[in-house]
Amino acid sequence: MNSFVRRCILTLAALAALGVRLAVAAPAVPLKLPEFEALAAKASESVNVSLDSSLLGLAAGFLDPKDPEDAGAKQLIAGLKGIYVRSYTFDQDVAYPAAEVEALRRQLTAPGWQSLVKVRKEKEHANVDIYISVDQGKANGLAIIVSEPREFTVVNIVGAIDLEKLRQLEGKFGVPKMPLPDADPSAGAPAPARP
Amino acid sequence: MNRDDDHDLEQKLRAALRPADPGPGFVGGLMARIAAERPGSVRPLRVRAAASWLTFALAASIVLALLLAHQQQARRTEQGLAARRQLIQALRVTGDKLDLASRLVNSQPPPPTSSDSGA
Repeated sequence: MNSFVRRCILTLAALAALGVRLAVAAPAVPLKLPEFEALAAKASESVNVSLDSSLLGLAAGFLDPKDPEDAGAKQLIAGLKGIYVRSYTFDQDVAYPAAEVEALRRQLTAPGWQSLVKVRKEKEHANVDIYISVDQGKANGLAIIVSEPREFTVVNIVGAIDLEKLRQLEGKFGVPKMPLPDADPSAGAPAPARP
Repeated sequence: MNRDDDHDLEQKLRAALRPADPGPGFVGGLMARIAAERPGSVRPLRVRAAASWLTFALAASIVLALLLAHQQQARRTEQGLAARRQLIQALRVTGDKLDLASRLVNSQPPPPTSSDSGA
């Protein structure tokens, strides 16, 4: 989980590097994730997580505040309205259902969603798309679509993603200090590919 | 049985059944006892049976409510632990994918910086 925080900070750095204008209003509603039944049938391992605000609250009640990882997770999910994950791992290369993926991408063309990171690696056959939804200058949604030859993952985080909280976690709980572009302009921030 | 025996038995019966004076305070005492007994203190059998059933039902309800509350709490705990497991799993998957994105982004060649070089 600490690495999750670190990676979120990396993404934050990428966001700043892109100079995304966070001004478009967007409702904090979950994406309609396809069922991906065909993928689930072929997958050797599936992760299907749907945590709405009530379940997140319930989970938060069972996080141990004395445990650094749990405490970090509790801070991260404060203000979130939902976390939805669909991840499928395969024993062999598979063709992903283009129609379902396209339907998902179409939702991310709605006003408020902005493409943050788009990577196409032909050599590794890896595609990564990260979208962020913003409202009043604050991130209120995150979507990640990753397709690899033997893995397909969709993540949708709904709610106020308090990026400042992530920054405050730097140096704590084993999270390494990560120089953010606005904190240190000379630091080498990751340069995501523009869509 | 001869005549002497019959006579003896008759005498005994007469002695036992002879009228006896209960005494001057008998009537007064009896009336006082009747007055002292409240009408409500002697409940009909049906009322007493209903009261017993009510007590039993109340006790059973309390036990049932306690059992249900315990079951609900156990279910809630189970749901909470499952939600916590799911949350951690979701954060791990998200972290993995953000890490992958970071690695892929960092492995890309830097964009041209013609304006920075002043060329």
